[in-house]
Amino acid sequence: MELALQQALNGGLLSVFYAVMAIGFTLIFGVMGIVNLAHGELYMVGAYVVWLTYAQGILPFPLAVLAGAGIVAGIGMGMERALFRQMRGNVLMGAILSVGIIFILQAFVATTWHVGLMKNIPPAIRGSVEIFGAIAPWQRLIVIPSAAALIGGLWWFLRRTKQGRALRAAAQDPEAATLQGISINRVGLIAMAIAAGLAGAAGGLMAPIMRVDPYMGHTALIMALMVTIVGGLGSVEGAMVASLIYGFLVAFVTGYFPKEIASPATMAIIIGALLMFIMLAVRPRGILGRGTA
Amino acid sequence: MKRKDLRKPIIVISLVAALVILAPLVAVTTSCAPGAPGMPGRAKEITAKIGFLAPLTGPVAGWGLPGLYGDYIWAEHFNAQGGITLSDGTQILVEIVPYDNEYITEKALTGAKKLVLQDEVVLVQMLGGATAAAAVPFMTDQMIVSTTLLPSDLTPSTLYHLAPIEVCPFYNVTGVEWLALNKPELKTFAQVAQDDELGRPGMAAMNASAEAAGLEIVYWELFDPETTDFAPIVSKMIASGADILSWGISYPDYVNLLTFEAYNQGYEGQLHSCTLDFYDAVIEKTSVEFMEGFIWQFPDFDDPAMQEPLNPYRLIEPIVFWDDYQEDYAGTWSAVSWEYQAQLDQWAQAVIAADSIDPMKVFAAWKRAEENDIYHAFGKGTWWGKPFWGIDNAFMAPWPVVEMQNGKAVIVEFRDQLDWWERNKEVMVKWNMDLDEMWWQRMGIDMESGIKMWGLEEEFGYLLE
Repeated sequence: MELALQQALNGGLLSVFYAVMAIGFTLIFGVMGIVNLAHGELYMVGAYVVWLTYAQGILPFPLAVLAGAGIVAGIGMGMERALFRQMRGNVLMGAILSVGIIFILQAFVATTWHVGLMKNIPPAIRGSVEIFGAIAPWQRLIVIPSAAALIGGLWWFLRRTKQGRALRAAAQDPEAATLQGISINRVGLIAMAIAAGLAGAAGGLMAPIMRVDPYMGHTALIMALMVTIVGGLGSVEGAMVASLIYGFLVAFVTGYFPKEIASPATMAIIIGALLMFIMLAVRPRGILGRGTA
Repeated sequence: MKRKDLRKPIIVISLVAALVILAPLVAVTTSCAPGAPGMPGRAKEITAKIGFLAPLTGPVAGWGLPGLYGDYIWAEHFNAQGGITLSDGTQILVEIVPYDNEYITEKALTGAKKLVLQDEVVLVQMLGGATAAAAVPFMTDQMIVSTTLLPSDLTPSTLYHLAPIEVCPFYNVTGVEWLALNKPELKTFAQVAQDDELGRPGMAAMNASAEAAGLEIVYWELFDPETTDFAPIVSKMIASGADILSWGISYPDYVNLLTFEAYNQGYEGQLHSCTLDFYDAVIEKTSVEFMEGFIWQFPDFDDPAMQEPLNPYRLIEPIVFWDDYQEDYAGTWSAVSWEYQAQLDQWAQAVIAADSIDPMKVFAAWKRAEENDIYHAFGKGTWWGKPFWGIDNAFMAPWPVVEMQNGKAVIVEFRDQLDWWERNKEVMVKWNMDLDEMWWQRMGIDMESGIKMWGLEEEFGYLLE
């Protein structure tokens, strides 16, 4: 029972992490029709900013995470303005461009701060708390309210602000939105800043827990991709639902799959991929998506 | 053309011809001057290139890059002291030629070809594992000596592949046994490591040692090397109720993250690992109290026990090496920082004995360790391995057990690996066979055919009965 609670806690943390990553990923696709495969590298840059600022004693952890989100949002805006804007709606070209960005960001980080050894980032809050027999480390617990605040803020922005409504309108029907006087360029820029900022924040929040190196974005992107497809491309709500499914799936398969048959962690990824294939075959638009993946 | 007209070109041609003929003579005459290169009176200087073919980037870099740093320090001392002078007066200096294989097999083979064919190295130092499996057959064909930290690379066909310092994971049996003997209140054992050529043999050796020591193995798992979140794995280990959590031969980054997860999840029992690299960073993430009593097998070189004359022929005294390393590469000390340079100590002794840098002559001298004063970094060694790896290419010496005491690595004992083997060889072979790690399994051949093909009935005949 204790192990089940512990894995539920682990799953909860993974869920919010996947949610923050996948929401950004799906937002860019929804608004711009771009599959940004460099989303994992934006997450990596966020983690590096935390290493450079918090681990070096320049900023406290919360400010370092905010700095990471802000810097990565800036990089995202640069990507939109210089590259993605010309490719809006062209899924293939957008994906190819984003692959180029992967190499540029990885090479930049690798050559500037070297690849050699994992960057060591101490926890912001030490110790843990017991919840119904399960041990919840504070460093993991703080990810949950932080991610919830980010998602809640995004929710409020999309539902309650003029720019947010414009963004949703552009995601639903870009032509109609343009006819209503909405600047698609401006909306695209905002969407990219939000998506990249979320990835940067996720990287910063997870930096003390995960291995920080220039290639850490790879696994995060695979999970974001699976969550986005299962949730429904372009659907923020779908991404949240799928994140919950995947977070608990990974934690419980890793926790309970018989190791005599196969490595539980490997099986978690395989089962996650199978779930995505089944979704594509049975319901290509995903749980809450509008179009087909 | 008149004769007078020809005079000028003839003079010019004659002058040029004279210059062409005289130039070499002048050069030879000049070079005969005392102290000129190539003549008696001044030694010929040769730079022996040592290939360093190991991961310098990626998750396994912690077992490559710090070793390269150690090699650089050794080479600096070696050359500053004038290198080795052979009997014909040839002075041997060294140059370390690194190649980053990123722990990728294809890159290891490419690197081996580049180092051997292009750089003409006389020795190739490797971490071992999957990268050795890819590169060693080529180097064997080229009759180039290579070294590994992982004798689990060794098979009867790896003729010139030596494990002169680290006999990983064989020595790990001593660490687990030390725990069982010195902390008898510990009864149960759980181990995890990544599922690869490093993690699997380590799992076999440490589980064998735990079983032999009477510890109950309550959980073990080989996890995906791509794992990024270790919380679910550590949760399972803690839930197993194990008194000892062992990270086996997990990569340095993984040991850091696994230990951090154990700390996060409130574990208060015994921790154990093959390595605990960059342990200051791990303490920074956890606490001195939490890390107290952690057992692993790689000492700091400022340890008082290391200052004993364990190897009377080492080039650099351990404390000097430690100080140089901390000065030049602070914060990067790992299990392998000293190991590759300790191999070079042996290579240099073999060069002196062979009176040559020819790889095959050096190899022959290296294998006659006792008569050529070749020592292990931890004392007198013996070439061994036939009864386990099918070839006597592992240099066995006592190995230290290291304990964390007040935030510092301390050698608590040197233990004899071969003594353990004599007492427990059946359980060691059983665990290795279970995990497909015996040499015939790694070679992909049938056990009986392999034993007969290599004439190893004496060593392995009991398995055929």
